[in-house]
Amino acid sequence: MQTLRHIASTVGILLLCCLGAAMLATSASAAEPTQLRARLLSDIRSTDPGVNRDGTTDSVVMHIVEGLVALAEDTSIVPMLAASYDIAKDGVTYTFRLRRGIHFHNGALLTAGDVAWALKRYFDPATKWRCLPEVDGRGQAKVVAVEAPNAETVVIRLERPAPLFLTMLSRPDCGGTGIIHRSSVGADGSWKAPIGTGPYKLGEWKRGQYLELKRFDKYQARSEPASGYAGGKKAEVDTIRFLVVPDSASAKAALLGGSVDILPDVNESELADIQSKSNIKVDISTTPGISGILFNTRDPVMRDVRIRRAIALAIDGKELVSGTTNDLAKLNNSAMPSISPFYTEVQRTGFVPNIAEAKRLLKEAGYNGRPIKILANKRYGTMYDTALIAQGLAAYAGIRLEVEVLDWATQLDRYTRGNYQMMAFAYTSRLDPSLVYDMLVGPKAIQTQKVWDNPEAQALVAESMRETDKVKRQRIFDELHRRMLQDVPLIVYWNGIQITAYHKRVVGFRQWPMEHPRYWLVRMKP
Amino acid sequence: MIRYIIRRLLMTLPTLFLVGVSVFALIRLIPGDPAQLMLGDSVDPGELVEVRRQMGLDQPIHIQFFEWASKVLQGDLGVSLSDGQAVLPLLVERFQVSGVVVLIAVMAALMIAVPAGLFAAHKQNRAADISIVALSTVLLSIPSFWLGLILLLTFGLALGWLPVVGYVPLSTSFLIGMSFLVLPIATLAVIEAGVLTRMMRASAIEVQRLEYVTHARAKGASEWRVLTRHILPNAFAPTLTLVGLILGNLLGGIAVLETVFTLPGLGRLLVDAIFARDYPVVQGCLLFTALIYVLVNLLVDLCYPLLDPRVTAE
Repeated sequence: MQTLRHIASTVGILLLCCLGAAMLATSASAAEPTQLRARLLSDIRSTDPGVNRDGTTDSVVMHIVEGLVALAEDTSIVPMLAASYDIAKDGVTYTFRLRRGIHFHNGALLTAGDVAWALKRYFDPATKWRCLPEVDGRGQAKVVAVEAPNAETVVIRLERPAPLFLTMLSRPDCGGTGIIHRSSVGADGSWKAPIGTGPYKLGEWKRGQYLELKRFDKYQARSEPASGYAGGKKAEVDTIRFLVVPDSASAKAALLGGSVDILPDVNESELADIQSKSNIKVDISTTPGISGILFNTRDPVMRDVRIRRAIALAIDGKELVSGTTNDLAKLNNSAMPSISPFYTEVQRTGFVPNIAEAKRLLKEAGYNGRPIKILANKRYGTMYDTALIAQGLAAYAGIRLEVEVLDWATQLDRYTRGNYQMMAFAYTSRLDPSLVYDMLVGPKAIQTQKVWDNPEAQALVAESMRETDKVKRQRIFDELHRRMLQDVPLIVYWNGIQITAYHKRVVGFRQWPMEHPRYWLVRMKP
Repeated sequence: MIRYIIRRLLMTLPTLFLVGVSVFALIRLIPGDPAQLMLGDSVDPGELVEVRRQMGLDQPIHIQFFEWASKVLQGDLGVSLSDGQAVLPLLVERFQVSGVVVLIAVMAALMIAVPAGLFAAHKQNRAADISIVALSTVLLSIPSFWLGLILLLTFGLALGWLPVVGYVPLSTSFLIGMSFLVLPIATLAVIEAGVLTRMMRASAIEVQRLEYVTHARAKGASEWRVLTRHILPNAFAPTLTLVGLILGNLLGGIAVLETVFTLPGLGRLLVDAIFARDYPVVQGCLLFTALIYVLVNLLVDLCYPLLDPRVTAE
């Protein structure tokens, strides 16, 4: 009897706790007018700009730090902490004049000495900066000196001209080469926390749960309108709380239930349901990322261009893109992103479905119906859908595709090693068309992850990186597109789609071509 | 008793060693590595080599193992390759979340399952018994993520009684913390109650057929007394074994539930670490889980004599 009484009282206490907790939670969840709660798919890796990072990390860190230059919405590179910059005629001397009155988050004024220190830290191998190969001679540029001749001027000298040097400095995966104060690191050089100059400063970070950014009251905005990562920024809310919500169904429930204000990465499959809610707004934009199917041109079967071409002709691209993206994306068979200023009529040409021609090519190549494996994963649903739809469409021409589903890490490993026949894949955004082609073109013997092993194409890409004249660059890109359609090392189908859903009380959010959401200028309706 | 406990604890050492070796080897046999995942699609061979060197992955595997093992023997499980956090404090922190959910859920499940199983056994083959068996079968068949989502959508979204995402430690605020834990606990409790009810019922049916129960009834003991004093303790022993196994399994991680309810628990840590090929965290999690499993089952074994005097710890 006593045991029963114990059980009853314990259950009673638990129920009371639950009830009380529910009431408290209800009152606690009342929206605070100056806090924006945004979903993160996964936690960030670190707060060190461009060091231990991934896309999620970059998107958060870019609210805290700013570089000398920044990426504008039209992918041009414009001054940010610099008031202006000059590139000397020799193409190797970059002179930046700093804006006055810029404060770090610790209250210190920004000086050229600070900038030189921050840049030298990035260029030091001990920092493990992701973009070091781009500035130490292994890539496009080799920085030979960083100088601060006076408090407002910074000079960077390169060994040889590198037209894409500023583009590299502004890359989000390089942390925008954000200028941080010396107190961001300890006496031994170890990372502490970012003391940047951005509109928000780092608040509390509970790993695996949330990260909070606080408004930086001394932030001095540029006078130009906001554009991309550049222009006039303003911290409109007191805090931004990035909540780690890995499960998409829970994230959707959180948005609809009001626990999260903004979901920057909605799945295409959930869009219709979210759009039907009257209190939710949705923004859809195209990004420069490219999605499609890769061929391993070293594979005994796939090395035959006739088979690759036959697959390209057998798959109706429009149908594939429509089915995979729920009609959100448009077919683009070019590696050139459709939003690029270099995207012209030439890039609009692509593969025209032709089953008869595909069958003829297959016969000529002696294809005997042997299965061809196409790799995909379910972490990125569009890759899986691409493989499935391609499998169905290719069958019309008698091509047997077998879909092999792997986890993302395994697929990435197979991609890196060049160990596949076909693969549904998506590349993240690159700021310049040269960088897009550079990602694809290269000698497979040395760089197994490259998909297009063609020395002439490689020479064209190298030339596009050296060339500064837009007309000449356009010609190079046109030629690259034509050759890619001939060689068929991959089939690009569409550019990335970014879907953001947010509550109607969120005002001022604007999507842009880069995947990373920007929350400066976003405010909350009371 | 003490000697028995020490002997059992010593027996865990080879188990943990084998777990350590196999986990270390298996995680490295899976394709993919953390350096590649960090670099993503823009991997450059030189860059990959450099990042692998920074992560210590360029060393021969046996060197990596001995370095790791020697640190483990000193109580250092290494640091996460993803974010540089020390693994041991990370495990302890995450275990506190999973531990609270699992312990309360299993307690709640027992509170439901023990009386329900006893009652069903008492009313064997009658409507009440059939209903309880049917219900418990349904409960144990429900996937936890589905039930979790249904509860989340009902109590979080439709009724708005409980928060949908987030977590507040109980040490910060017990009531608010509980508001985040109610749904995962309820989900787990309901499902485990189904399993335990069936076990409790089966054991009780077996025990109530024994002669000493008939003897108790013949002596004129009330049905309540027969159930609680004579059937319950003996019928509970097999259920306790199951509780040990359940606790061992669940304490090792309730990854799906933790993902649905965004709880920063041990299971989610392990799954995230596997996807990120974060070797030190995966190794640490599995070693920790094996240790928990062994300790919980040792505790269960030590509880047997309390229920059945015929069983001794020796």
